[in-house]
Amino acid sequence: MDQPVRIAVDIGGTFTDLQILDARAGRVQAHKTPTTPADPSEGLMTGVREAASHFGFALSEVGMLLHGTTIATNAVLERKLARGVLLTTAGFEDVLEITRHVRRELYRLDPDPFPCLIERDRRLGVTERLRADGSVEIPLSGLDGLMEKLRALEPEAVAIGLLHAYANPAHEEALAEAVRAALPGVPVSLSSEVSPEIREYERLSTTVLNAVLMPVVQNYLNRLKARLGEGGFTPRLFLVQSNGGMCSLDRAAAQPARLLLSGPSGGAMAAERLSRRLARPNLVAVDMGGTSFDVSVVQDHRIGLVTQGEVDRLPVRLPMVEMRTIGAGGGSIAAVDAGGRLSVGPRSAGARPGPVCYGRGGTEPTVSDANAVLGRFDPDFFLGGAMKLELGAAREAMVARVGDRLGLSTEAAAEGVMRVTNTQLAAAVRLSLFEKGLDPRDFALLSFGGAGGLHACEVAEELGMTEIVLPREPGTLSAYGIMFADLVQDIARSRLLPLEEASLPAMEETLGALHAEAQARLDADAIPAGQRAVEIAADLRYRGQAFELLIPWPEAPALTPLLARFHATHRARFSYADESERVELVTLRASAIGRLPKPEESRDVPPGASAPGTRRLWTGGAWCEVPVHLRETLAQGVEVAGPAIIEEAFATHWIAPGWTATLDPEGAVIARRTP
Amino acid sequence: MNAIEIEVIRNALTAAAAEMDVTVWRTSRSTIVRELLDYSTAVFDAEGWNLAQSARIPSHLNSMSHALREILARFIPAGEWGPDDVVITNDPYCGGQHLPDILAFKAVFHEGTRIAFAGTLCHHIDVGGLAAGSYAAKATEIFQEGLRIPPLKVIAGGVRNEGVWAMIRQNIRKPDLLLGDLSSQLASLDVGAAAIRRLAARFGAAAMIEAGRRILDMSEAGMRAAIAAMPDGIYEFEDFLDDDGVEVGKPIRLHVSLTIEGDEARVDLSGCSPQALGPVNATLASSTAAVMFALMCCAEPGLHMSAGCYRPIKVEAPEGSVVNARAPAAVAHRIAATHRLLNAMNGALHQAVPDRIPAAYYGNSYVTTFQTVAADGGREVLVEIEIGGSGAHPAKDGVNAFSSGMHNNSNIPIEMIEAQMPLTVTRYELRPGSGGAGERRGGLGLVREWRVDSPRCLFTANMDRFVHAPYGLAGGQAAAPGTLELVRDGDTIAVPPKTDNLELREGDVIRLATSGGGGFGDPERRDGDARTRDERLGYA
Repeated sequence: MDQPVRIAVDIGGTFTDLQILDARAGRVQAHKTPTTPADPSEGLMTGVREAASHFGFALSEVGMLLHGTTIATNAVLERKLARGVLLTTAGFEDVLEITRHVRRELYRLDPDPFPCLIERDRRLGVTERLRADGSVEIPLSGLDGLMEKLRALEPEAVAIGLLHAYANPAHEEALAEAVRAALPGVPVSLSSEVSPEIREYERLSTTVLNAVLMPVVQNYLNRLKARLGEGGFTPRLFLVQSNGGMCSLDRAAAQPARLLLSGPSGGAMAAERLSRRLARPNLVAVDMGGTSFDVSVVQDHRIGLVTQGEVDRLPVRLPMVEMRTIGAGGGSIAAVDAGGRLSVGPRSAGARPGPVCYGRGGTEPTVSDANAVLGRFDPDFFLGGAMKLELGAAREAMVARVGDRLGLSTEAAAEGVMRVTNTQLAAAVRLSLFEKGLDPRDFALLSFGGAGGLHACEVAEELGMTEIVLPREPGTLSAYGIMFADLVQDIARSRLLPLEEASLPAMEETLGALHAEAQARLDADAIPAGQRAVEIAADLRYRGQAFELLIPWPEAPALTPLLARFHATHRARFSYADESERVELVTLRASAIGRLPKPEESRDVPPGASAPGTRRLWTGGAWCEVPVHLRETLAQGVEVAGPAIIEEAFATHWIAPGWTATLDPEGAVIARRTP
Repeated sequence: MNAIEIEVIRNALTAAAAEMDVTVWRTSRSTIVRELLDYSTAVFDAEGWNLAQSARIPSHLNSMSHALREILARFIPAGEWGPDDVVITNDPYCGGQHLPDILAFKAVFHEGTRIAFAGTLCHHIDVGGLAAGSYAAKATEIFQEGLRIPPLKVIAGGVRNEGVWAMIRQNIRKPDLLLGDLSSQLASLDVGAAAIRRLAARFGAAAMIEAGRRILDMSEAGMRAAIAAMPDGIYEFEDFLDDDGVEVGKPIRLHVSLTIEGDEARVDLSGCSPQALGPVNATLASSTAAVMFALMCCAEPGLHMSAGCYRPIKVEAPEGSVVNARAPAAVAHRIAATHRLLNAMNGALHQAVPDRIPAAYYGNSYVTTFQTVAADGGREVLVEIEIGGSGAHPAKDGVNAFSSGMHNNSNIPIEMIEAQMPLTVTRYELRPGSGGAGERRGGLGLVREWRVDSPRCLFTANMDRFVHAPYGLAGGQAAAPGTLELVRDGDTIAVPPKTDNLELREGDVIRLATSGGGGFGDPERRDGDARTRDERLGYA
């Protein structure tokens, strides 16, 4: 074992989180270092070097680096994108700008248009037309004149999206060849390769995003590769995708749109893994940070996927982890309006200026300030002592902007802010379960993120849930999830067919193509035969419906089990099924999975024994001395009865009155409602 | 009871409306409910005033409380509602809007005290009448528009009235879909009632009633503040529907006289035309929704939208007018009158707050229906609702192709249409020059073309703004009016915008060009960069 170390890195806005697994000891350890926004690979390397000296391994011993990055997402949000040109079927150049045109803010008098990443003068019409079955109505022509116009626009990236190209890529491929000849070296993105699915606007949006990201992501990967080799640092490198799996660098460079919604992937992968290790098949995973609260559902040990997401109101038609996000977090601002209504959010103080207690110029009280006022933070040990909290300023803001206006004391105002926040969080969790026909009482609440441990008990109580799980290092859980991920490449083919025997030959042909492509992708990543798997799924609907359900199809091409599973899923989600109704296939999908070896982790919890300290805290309407336990020194088997605080370097957990917490052998804190 | 408990209850009531919404979405059967999301859910106080709602369509917003209050006042007094009763109606002349919208209400009790009502509104796919979809363009009385259900207990004491159920089934084209969707409305009421009772178990009946009162008061205060910020005065404006489709070419006037006095607004609609023969009339539920929507758009963002917002606003509309039609006037296309009423309201509001109100949006729902008939007689139906451009705002250009005003629709993917029926969309693009010129330019309308690939096709259209263009404001110019054409054998023929069952044949092309939005401010003052950009992008 010459390269026993595996490192997972999750680069966030403020911190770069690392998890290090050294197979020699089998232990997973965490490290944090500031993010370097100008070139995130710099912070990444700093973190790796710091971890190497701190935990005692050589850079040459690192065999694998698993990397989660928001580089693609940030490039879109900040519009640091390549200058693109779109080639599309003549007569449909404006589809990208017309969008689907439903508005989101009903009452707004000065609406903004949906973003459009390639303007009208850079969208060129192509003479050609395919029909829905892939046959040619108008042959492709006029390439010479088109290439001339294209060159004059000096594109840095070219997107090609033609009507019905999901059914027949021939015109797109011929165009791509012409573009590559006319503009050598300029990246080209084809809708039939990026997202070969029916629905022109969504496919086009995805293809355009992909094209204008290609140069950006390629640059980043080049910088990253240039750093490899330093001090013998030569790990195999993989990137996190939106679908909860990893991909190789080549794949990421060719299809960077697959990185766009990867933020929640790490947390989702961690939730799945913890669900197994803690033997709890049903979990609601909530990730609460400074600005957002993300809810995902683990059912029978698996997180759900959806086939479309969006970034900055732009649809991305690629598989991603299913998640409900609301704008509530530690930075959510509490305010009282002219009518005397107390609101929390949706405005947020964000990271800058941040809550008042951060002392960075924030003046409006936030949810974090409410926690601070109630004494739940140690002002001298916040973020592991990295930041001193200004409690006085937080109290002043709370009383001036909330308490005085409502005739409440400072503490009552802070408690009120907490109550309002917790009911909002609970409503988001309830809806996420409710829309799947699930009951919160059948689930445990897995709460993580920087602020997750402060609200878990009360949110669970609102929902009638009796168990919460607070994982170790909740602030770096995404990196932990990444550590144990697999390579997953999604391949899709839209083909609208009635789901019946007569369609089988056509379906088998498509399945064959999917399998062949899956194996070719696994070959390209040099995955050994024993570590390969291909999973098939189908997007199905009743004839006439405008959306599909994603149904796994392990028995492909046998139709009966697929139909039965579709009816059953439809009944579970929508409360009825109609077995006499015709079912349609819209898209077939294959996931090519390359299993990465999973080294054993041992979570040996040090036999802590130190006696708890105490802190003055506002609870039950009075200031009380409440025990404060350090998680690192919490002993196995000890029961911590609320009210109590469990503290660790980057997180604080509030065990509310009526709850009792113990340490699980895995190192997670499990708290139960005292019956 | 302090502000914190009020906010907790307010959040929980909003969450209850959201759970009811998810229930309809999860359990309904028809595409119109689940995919066009043409439904709304709401929670009301014990007197029928709306406390919280979940809705995406402005024409539904603020109309349900009106209906429930009408039912309580004129048909089934509050004292006659038991905890296991459900009352339904679709009758525009009993507080509703048009027959496809069925309203369902349930009273909620805690320890014997009525503390709330839960309500749902769904647009159903067909309720019988002259034309499939119950949307006939040429109906002249409500009896041609479908089955009328007066307010009645479809469930009494927990038992369904099978006679009513059977009668509905007998009178409509798609009974399984309608009754399926109606069942999902009933299920949603149970979910809402359970959520409200869960809350009452924590806080008690008295606190629930008190919280409801305080929520209404807070919304009222916010709305009064918004009105008080407008200068006192009388502001008048008028706009026109081209016609009602029956008396072709006879314009219909929508006139608004808005009086702002302190923190109250009075809207006098007595200058509107008498009710029309064709189905473009509105009942009070519809026209009030348009008036309230116009004023509520002027409130501060974040205001909680509840019936408290209605208190400082008074609407006067003489019975027998196009905005307060008398039975048995036809009302299926009531959306036409509400679009134009909103345009007129905004024209009046512009005089009060000239820096906030945009010029006219396209102001109508471009409804097209294609029924293709194959050689073997097989039929496929496509219903589309297209849109145009939004009006220019004093500080911003209008938005190209943007769903605005009283409706909120999505278009249908071209590739899906072509994969499912013998129609080809041959063009879908913005319509240059269709936005009104101005210092701020109106958003562009669009062009969509459909080619018939089957031997026969029946085409139905219902749209407006072909004569009376969306107006500009403050010197901005009007947008281009729409056009609807048939291209046959190389000839282009104008098609009347309100048409039932036009016979098309293979190769025919229908070309729709929609209105943009009006411009704002003198076009001479448009800055150089904006002009250059318009030119570069081919918008002008």
